Amino acid sequence: MGYIHIPLMDIINILIGKIFGNFHFIENTNETYQAVIFDIRLPRILTCAGVGAALAVSGGLFQGILLNPLADPYTLGVSAGAAFGACIAILLNLSAAFVSVPLFAFIGACTTLFLVIFLSYSSKNSISGLSSNNLILSGIIVAAILSAGISFLKFIANEQVSVIIFWLMGSFASKTWLDVIVVMTFLVIGFFISLFFARDLNLISLGAKSATSLGVDLKKVTIILLVTGSMLAAICVSVSGIIGFVGLLVPHTVRFVTGPDNRKLIPLSMLMGAALLLFADTITRAVLPHEIPIGVLTALTGGPIFCWIFKKNRFK
Amino acid sequence: MKLNLHNISFSYDHDMTINHINCSFISGNFYSILGPNGSGKTTLLDLMSGFLKPDTGHIDMNQTPILSLTKKELAKKIALVSQDYIINFSFSVKDVVMMGRHPYIPRFSHPSASDREKVTEMMKITGILHLQDRKINELSGGERQRCVFARALCQDTQILLLDEAFSNMDINHTLQMLRLVKRSVKEKEKLVISVFHDLNLASSWSDALLMLKNGEIKTFGNSQDVLTQQAIKDVFNVTSIVEFNEHVKSKQVYYPSI
Repeated sequence: MGYIHIPLMDIINILIGKIFGNFHFIENTNETYQAVIFDIRLPRILTCAGVGAALAVSGGLFQGILLNPLADPYTLGVSAGAAFGACIAILLNLSAAFVSVPLFAFIGACTTLFLVIFLSYSSKNSISGLSSNNLILSGIIVAAILSAGISFLKFIANEQVSVIIFWLMGSFASKTWLDVIVVMTFLVIGFFISLFFARDLNLISLGAKSATSLGVDLKKVTIILLVTGSMLAAICVSVSGIIGFVGLLVPHTVRFVTGPDNRKLIPLSMLMGAALLLFADTITRAVLPHEIPIGVLTALTGGPIFCWIFKKNRFK
Repeated sequence: MKLNLHNISFSYDHDMTINHINCSFISGNFYSILGPNGSGKTTLLDLMSGFLKPDTGHIDMNQTPILSLTKKELAKKIALVSQDYIINFSFSVKDVVMMGRHPYIPRFSHPSASDREKVTEMMKITGILHLQDRKINELSGGERQRCVFARALCQDTQILLLDEAFSNMDINHTLQMLRLVKRSVKEKEKLVISVFHDLNLASSWSDALLMLKNGEIKTFGNSQDVLTQQAIKDVFNVTSIVEFNEHVKSKQVYYPSI
């Protein structure tokens, strides 16, 4: 598509005009500019901010539930499930029906989540059954099986393999207002649920027995928060593909500022996640000579930063 | 106040961990639970704290089944100092002790002045006031245990369950905590049930001993009556000498070195 230069005043006029419904402001602006800003850029920016925020909140929740400051939204294999669902949709060539790839990705993610919970749940001893060790192990096993499945699908995909690969690397190109609405709805719901249980999440980090004896209904809170975190991750993956390290790095880094109290950590992580992913997306779109997939960029920059934090803190 | 266990059984897999236990604990007493590794001591405490649900039978407090209460109500009646005192996140000591007030603070409210006062008082009497701004995951095992102890005391409960709560404390702090607990039992009519490994400490500090083996009660009664060479042989399979010691005014156990 290439670049278009839009004067700053036009951008401001178009935004004010569209938002307040005041057409006086947009009378003098170019129709193409309006379309670029309102139908292409703005949905992309808002989706991106929403996904960044949702991934960060989800990461914060998983780190709390799994008692592990290095867990991320994909620990339970949600990303592998979504990717598997998306691959099937692409392979069956359902993408013509527009919504099917995200929809299949979402179904894949949810199925994986419930499979992982089912594996780690024991009806006999339901409270300790959903322990963080069980959840992490089940997540790894399910993700490993699904990864093999994805490889197999790629193997039989022939010429569609490039579509699959591009989907897996994540992108915010050609997002619509529908994506914005879906992401924002889930984000708002997920955020309020997380905030409602933030104090219980603090207590859960003391250990299962301590949390229970301090009045936390551990099983209920764990399941609600697991489902909330996974739904957030699932919606992100289905909208924009797999974007790594945001959900891991943001809450982990914000924790240095706010301390481990989830009542502060979750809101601040949300803002930081939105800002960070928007920044990354702007780099992929505007700064680099060619648009590279955002998932690749976040992993390539986030990975080394993570290594540095990890090494530094372990020997402090 | 009375805590009654009626026909309690529990098993993790196939082997019975707790086997048809019936007993009653009465407030104003300090009870110790003794037994070899794997005899079901911790499981018994977990059942009494409501963390585990028994397979058969029920536990009640003055006729009220404990599982009929909400977790929050139960947290105002029974506090547990468990062995999970390893915390991965860097909460400050003050924050951790304040979590003991959780059942009393409504969601989205800030701790009241009386909550903060209680926390400071409990940190003072457990000797961790000077650590209040330190991070819990940077403290030694014994210091962390005292934080968890202070947290349980902040719950202000009638019943306090201690699961080897002193295992990492030095002898000075162990005695301080025991004095603290003993005083609350005598002055405030509290009920304390503690799992011990040290038979001598158990004998000199508790009013009654309960000996468990393979999930069954072997003996239960007044400390000075049930602590015998024969009981120790039966429960621990250890040869010992049990004598009344003038200095501690209770029976003490000695182990011959051959």
